[in-house]
Amino acid sequence: MSNDHRGPSAYDDPGTPEEITRRTFMANATLTLGGIIGLGLAIPIVGSLLPKTGTGGGTWTALDAAGWKELQASTDKPVKIDFVLTGKDAYLPEASSPESVWGVKVDLEKFKAKRPDVYQVKGGEVPYPAVNMGFAIFSPICPHLGCRFNYDDSAGKFLCPCHGSQFTAIGEHTAGPADRGLDPLPLREQNGKAQITWIRYAPTVPDRIVVSYMS
Amino acid sequence: MLNWIDQRTGFVTMAKDFLREDIPGGASYWYVFGSATLFAMILQIATGIFLTFFYAPSASTAWESTQAIYQNPFQHFVLSMHYWGSSAMIALVFLHLLQVVVWGAYKSPREIQWIVGVLLLLVTMVLGLTGYLLPWDMNAYFASQVAINLTLTVPVVGTFIQTFAQDGTTLGTLTINRFFGLHVWLMPAALVALVAAHLAIFRHNGPAGPPVEDPRPLKPGRFWPDQVFMDTFVSFLIFAIIIGLSFIAPPFLDAKADPTQSQFVPYPAWYFLDLFGLLNLVPGQFEIVGAIIIPGIATTILVLLPWIDRSTTRTFGSRKPILWMLTVSMAIILGLTFWSQAGIQAKEAASPYKPVDATTITAAAPAAAPAAGAAAAPAAIDGAKIFSTNCSSCHGATGQGMPGTFPPLAGNPVVQGDIKKLTGIVTDGLHGKIMVKGQSYDGMMPAWKGTLKPAEIDAVVTYIRTLK
Repeated sequence: MSNDHRGPSAYDDPGTPEEITRRTFMANATLTLGGIIGLGLAIPIVGSLLPKTGTGGGTWTALDAAGWKELQASTDKPVKIDFVLTGKDAYLPEASSPESVWGVKVDLEKFKAKRPDVYQVKGGEVPYPAVNMGFAIFSPICPHLGCRFNYDDSAGKFLCPCHGSQFTAIGEHTAGPADRGLDPLPLREQNGKAQITWIRYAPTVPDRIVVSYMS
Repeated sequence: MLNWIDQRTGFVTMAKDFLREDIPGGASYWYVFGSATLFAMILQIATGIFLTFFYAPSASTAWESTQAIYQNPFQHFVLSMHYWGSSAMIALVFLHLLQVVVWGAYKSPREIQWIVGVLLLLVTMVLGLTGYLLPWDMNAYFASQVAINLTLTVPVVGTFIQTFAQDGTTLGTLTINRFFGLHVWLMPAALVALVAAHLAIFRHNGPAGPPVEDPRPLKPGRFWPDQVFMDTFVSFLIFAIIIGLSFIAPPFLDAKADPTQSQFVPYPAWYFLDLFGLLNLVPGQFEIVGAIIIPGIATTILVLLPWIDRSTTRTFGSRKPILWMLTVSMAIILGLTFWSQAGIQAKEAASPYKPVDATTITAAAPAAAPAAGAAAAPAAIDGAKIFSTNCSSCHGATGQGMPGTFPPLAGNPVVQGDIKKLTGIVTDGLHGKIMVKGQSYDGMMPAWKGTLKPAEIDAVVTYIRTLK
């Protein structure tokens, strides 16, 4: 590019010692001010990106009466019980969506012996009885990577369609990539209606960690 | 005229400088991979910008706006080009990388140019991953759920990364916002900056030339117009292929994401099938090996390749160990890809879940209908609100239902029939398998008498009878 039309350059003359110190100061000041602008932008931006992670408080949700009756009449085969979960997804208006849990009638002593893990969450014991009225309620979410599993009648097992994890009817992990057995949910009876608390646990990790109590 | 502009801008001189470049050994179709990748990127940016005109990122609008895009022929075509363009871009990035490795073009003084290239590969894959969630259909939801949850295998900070990626403890509307921001702003901005650096360094070093003992004595050829023509010709072919595929095989939009669906078999994009296969190979307790350690080692090797390949020349004869390593790696990647594809197809064939073509679900603009019929307006507006809050999550925003589980309300004879019977179903619920228009449904209809007042039930019943 031609600069012929320009006159002599300011860079030809190195300048006086005062000018040199002044320029050093201005160069440093420019970098410092630029750095402050960068930091002043970075702090609120990084802060804005941090997710909300509070687990919130649990609320009780009524199970579908027909499913509850079916579970009460069952023997040792798991029963899928539907219910309507009402909740909020961040800023969206509150909405109801169909959900379900798995219930199974268990023998308390045998269950305790076979699934001691059910009574443990990371850092202590489960803050609710994992078996109530002789029933265990399992979250329908696979503890591997969060897919939904099914009960296969002929195999007598829970099977996950995503990566092939398998669990017995009482939720022991027997095959596939999952790191722990099925996760328990609290159950209670109130005015003749069965209620549960919907809890999400961290998938993948061997420890049972509560991530949210969805209201 | 050009002279007049050049004196005032210097642009003409700049363009001439840009187009004057010696190509060692002459122009060649072997040199088109970089510019073809650049072309695919420009295509992705052009189509992507206009898709943001029609797409709305939130859990209640992502799938709906995507469906609207599918229902407009031109918008659908732009989306199809973006879909096939993404595959083209990833394929071309891989081919470009493969050629650079085969020719040893990363050797001194091109190490930094190479590292920027590896970063471009990673950014391109993140773009693919984040774009995958946006349509918010079944596979978008479940495939992203699996990918996000894999970050939990990272020790100590895994939980933080996972909640940070999905912006909260569950995959939901905030995740869509976050992935949208990443997909349309942050990652493209990083991509453009890195491409600019990649090209600036390329011009600084000049083309590497063919892998011979000493490429310097080779007779040079011209960049313009010889090489530019070849680049343009290949870009044109790629464009023609993308157009053709967009006509013949446009992408598929499944039913809206339903987190409770337990039969769905999620599948990753084809360029993640190798990683998917790796996960299936390692036992569960060693998940971190397949999810983090092996991909991490592979990326590290890729970055360090200029220092691992110690030969002084770029000839094939002097680089046998590297070329063998490349052949074995490619065999493993291709093997894992085909193996995973076969596995997923077998699982999909066995699964009772049948995809729903979202374009066949007709949006009959129910929201506009009450406004047109002024007489029925007060009750219908009220009912529409109750419907969207309580009923639409199962029966669909337009009452289209969900195959196998929740019956459609639009065009349903029971809905149009005896109003007392219909009110009874809404009030007291319904259980067990039912048949509607020859299809069976076995979802559960809850009793709404505890939740809705009788007047609200009447309003929603009136509303659903207007659905067409």
